[in-house]
Amino acid sequence: MSKSLMVTGASKGIGAAAVERFFHTDNDVTDFILLARESQSFSDFLDKLSADNPHGKRVHPHFIDLADRARIVGLMKDVMSEHGKVDILLNNAGYTSPCAIQQVQFSDFERTIGVNLYAPFTIVQELLHSGNTFELIVNVASTAGMNGRPGWLTYSASKAALITMSEVMKDELAIYGTRVVCISPGRCATDLRKTLAPDEDPSTIMQPEHVAGVIEMLASDLGRFVDSRNLVVRM
Amino acid sequence: MYSLVLLNGGIGSRVAAGQPKQFIHVNGLPIIVYSLVAADAVDEIDEIVLNYPEGWREDTEKLVIDYAVKTPVTYVVAGASRHESVSLMLPRCKNERVIVHETARPLVGADDFRRIVADPHDNVSFMLPIPFTVAPVEPESAKVTGWLDRGKLRNVQLPQKFRKADLIAAHEYAEREGVEFTEDATLVAVAGSEVYFLDGEDRNFKVTTPTDVRLAGFLLGGEDDDE
Repeated sequence: MSKSLMVTGASKGIGAAAVERFFHTDNDVTDFILLARESQSFSDFLDKLSADNPHGKRVHPHFIDLADRARIVGLMKDVMSEHGKVDILLNNAGYTSPCAIQQVQFSDFERTIGVNLYAPFTIVQELLHSGNTFELIVNVASTAGMNGRPGWLTYSASKAALITMSEVMKDELAIYGTRVVCISPGRCATDLRKTLAPDEDPSTIMQPEHVAGVIEMLASDLGRFVDSRNLVVRM
Repeated sequence: MYSLVLLNGGIGSRVAAGQPKQFIHVNGLPIIVYSLVAADAVDEIDEIVLNYPEGWREDTEKLVIDYAVKTPVTYVVAGASRHESVSLMLPRCKNERVIVHETARPLVGADDFRRIVADPHDNVSFMLPIPFTVAPVEPESAKVTGWLDRGKLRNVQLPQKFRKADLIAAHEYAEREGVEFTEDATLVAVAGSEVYFLDGEDRNFKVTTPTDVRLAGFLLGGEDDDE
């Protein structure tokens, strides 16, 4: 059976690494619905995929700012009329602007919650309303959502909420046989990590490809045997 | 193909806590959702006839829309009794064969509907053996009047399936004779059609008390998988 995979934050980091993992494997995932803001890195990534497509897979890029809820609602309707279904959803996009309590701009807090929490919720709810039955939903949270860290209030709060939202999704969507998986990567060499820890040498920590490998395992038949209520992925 | 007559009532008023009893939540979801989603996954059911309490059509429709139920749903206002509800719903069924279920049994699964569809008989009900002893009594005098062989008794469950003509004839019989039945399998049998039973599951029980709501929530929350 031909399956579709939707990935948010697909232009770089864990999202792009996961796409490459599924894209370069001879598997039943044939359609890649990729969401990211318009950027040079997204264009470069799309060029890279079309230049090396050994299994003839189809890529459907969509430029979107996931803080824009109204656009998500519209896009999900378009996706369903174009593809008819989304089998696997990887809610990966993340945003952060770390600062101390006294310095948090409320609009920035709203953007963090918008991208990290409301966007995955809206995508799932809109696709359910359209009659989509997911096989698997993977929500990418963070170890920062399990333990608060000074300076990371908005990010930690958003990821803590994503972890508990995933638990609810897992229970409520069981009526459809949908598996909902939440992973919490620790330090991983992404652009977001550079924002959180600008002085760290990224070559010394976990790479996006490692997390992508775990996501691929969770999507496999083996994945159903892993208790992934909140699976910590760290070095 | 089958029409599903989905009775959306029959939960004891003690569990309703001020809201229409059809909308109580079990394991976090409105109780009606479980039967709708299970039936929606069954290819042989191509129509759902659903009743609603007077004044609650919009709320019922919204649930069907929110859960993106793909099988076409026909809405019928609830009657004063279960008998009357079924009588009002049957003429709205387009198919010659109907399945009767009630939303108060949220532990029904798509496979239960498939099993009853696959049974070769026309009129079939899920039923359970009775694991305890039942005595016939005279309530007024508190006198025990004899005994019943429990091996020849069954606990009647739902879903059930019928030829629509047999079920309609049975309801006409009940009206003619002035008798009330609390479910349709025994009614159809007493009215003269053959009815058979399939062994059901004890987990497919009817939620009627607050304890039942908690028990159903526990069972729906997943089996105990610890060693």
